[in-house]
Amino acid sequence: MRSLWKKVRCIIGEATMLLICCIFLLPFYYLVVNTFKNQQEASSAPMALPATVSFENYIKAFDSMDFFRSFGNSLLITAVSVTVIVLFGAMAAYPIARRKHKVYKGILLYFLLGYMVPAQTIMVPLYLTLQKMHLLNNIWGLVVIYSSWCNFSLFLYQGFFGSVPEELEESARIDGCGPWKSFWLITFPLLQPVTATIVIFEVMWIWNDFLYPYLFLSSNKSFTLVMQVYKGVGQFSNDWGMMMATMVIVLIPVLVFYLFMQKNIVAGITSGSVKG
Amino acid sequence: MKFRWKKEVPYLLFLFPAFIAYTALIMWPLLQAFGLPFTDWKGYTMEGLNYVGLKNYIKILGDKEMVYAIKNTIIYAVFNPMLVTVLAVPLAVILNSKMKTKNFQRAAFFFPSVPSALILGYLWSYIMSPLDYGVLNRFVTALGFEPILWLAHPKVALLSVILVSVWNVLGWHACIYIAQLQGIPEDLFEAARIDGATAMQMFFRITLPLLRPAMATSVMLLLINALKIFDLPFALTGGGPGYSTTMLSQVIIQRGFVDKMYGRSMAAAILFCIFVVAVTVIQRKAARED
Repeated sequence: MRSLWKKVRCIIGEATMLLICCIFLLPFYYLVVNTFKNQQEASSAPMALPATVSFENYIKAFDSMDFFRSFGNSLLITAVSVTVIVLFGAMAAYPIARRKHKVYKGILLYFLLGYMVPAQTIMVPLYLTLQKMHLLNNIWGLVVIYSSWCNFSLFLYQGFFGSVPEELEESARIDGCGPWKSFWLITFPLLQPVTATIVIFEVMWIWNDFLYPYLFLSSNKSFTLVMQVYKGVGQFSNDWGMMMATMVIVLIPVLVFYLFMQKNIVAGITSGSVKG
Repeated sequence: MKFRWKKEVPYLLFLFPAFIAYTALIMWPLLQAFGLPFTDWKGYTMEGLNYVGLKNYIKILGDKEMVYAIKNTIIYAVFNPMLVTVLAVPLAVILNSKMKTKNFQRAAFFFPSVPSALILGYLWSYIMSPLDYGVLNRFVTALGFEPILWLAHPKVALLSVILVSVWNVLGWHACIYIAQLQGIPEDLFEAARIDGATAMQMFFRITLPLLRPAMATSVMLLLINALKIFDLPFALTGGGPGYSTTMLSQVIIQRGFVDKMYGRSMAAAILFCIFVVAVTVIQRKAARED
């Protein structure tokens, strides 16, 4: 009797949680379901399933946003910046973690200095620097900016070096391997768990970032996907069926990334935040 | 210890790329951001600058929008971390129990943390709209209440921003707690159960104290991100109605990039930076003493 009651309680508890999950995801249902309706239908029954499925909103959205160009921009900016952040961060962490001289301690402190500085603090001077470098309204300008935030990856790598055995590098040195070669052949591959964490965090930040593209990109040809949503809302604020279709299109790559990387994202949060 | 250049040069070369990028694009602009608000710099040439003392700081502190922004940002940075923590801890405990669908549930709660906050803000601006397609008010009226001006009423708008932000990051922070919960050995609870502890007692006496490290991390992330918030209110309300949801980041951008008052914008940015660093340091100290 008692175990039966316990089972029933379990089932009720789980059903309640599933219901809460569904409520939690309702905004996304609302978003998707209304992209298939015309304006009138969406106004009269926003939560109902569409009476007839129409792809008109998607066609309009796709035509107005130059999807492939923006997707390419987002992809290029994210891929190059993340690669640079990983390489620069890992390289800089290597001497700081391995060399004993106090010069390296001082350099670490120097990198720490800018760690807490919010991006908003340096926006205006950064704008002028980019202007001088002729990198405004240029996706490479964004790559340069994102890459400069390599101190975050530096700290994660530096913290991880302790668990990478130094003996391997030692024996490589005896075999006549210079620091450059031994770093890339032996040490860097062993850093792979942190590299995965850094890649995921940086990809999610850079792909989704709105602040920098908003400030530093001004024409459609350099826009990222997130900027296309911003532009669309400004231009077609009344046609929200089409706006929602734009958002769904922009969300699809993120959704794919999430489905493939879900396990790694969770692992990254676990290792990246609790220990750090 | 003597610095032996010949031996250290190969290692210094490893530092070189990060050092250059960081110095040129973070430290140099930071130095400028500290120095330029004390001058009458207009954004063009660096020659013939005059020292103006604290004028820019005084002006920005007398700026009505700035005063509202400080107030709003503080309210937001108190309530967002508080609500998220109060909800994320029990949620993590539930999602850590033995449910058949727990993987699906974790994925569902986490999902709003994945897309750009800008897109989520626009999505919620449709949901909270006073027009026909604003489903939230349909729901409210179906329950027999008066429709609420979620985003257009100056007293409600900030609350709406906070609610959406909680929905946005709840799953992420529950995930931080789940990670720590998985490290708590099961026999602790077993022993407590044998001693006749209730579920409530176990939660407050075992789970909560052992979650301290995760809580320190989560609250710090929440606080810093709350102080820096920009995308979400920008998309949801644009800072309005009036200045009721204007945040500090938005004032810095508005003064600097729209009004071209560089001096004031950078003065605001420096105050903002000092504020963020102070909060971070205080929070870290508090977490360590705990």
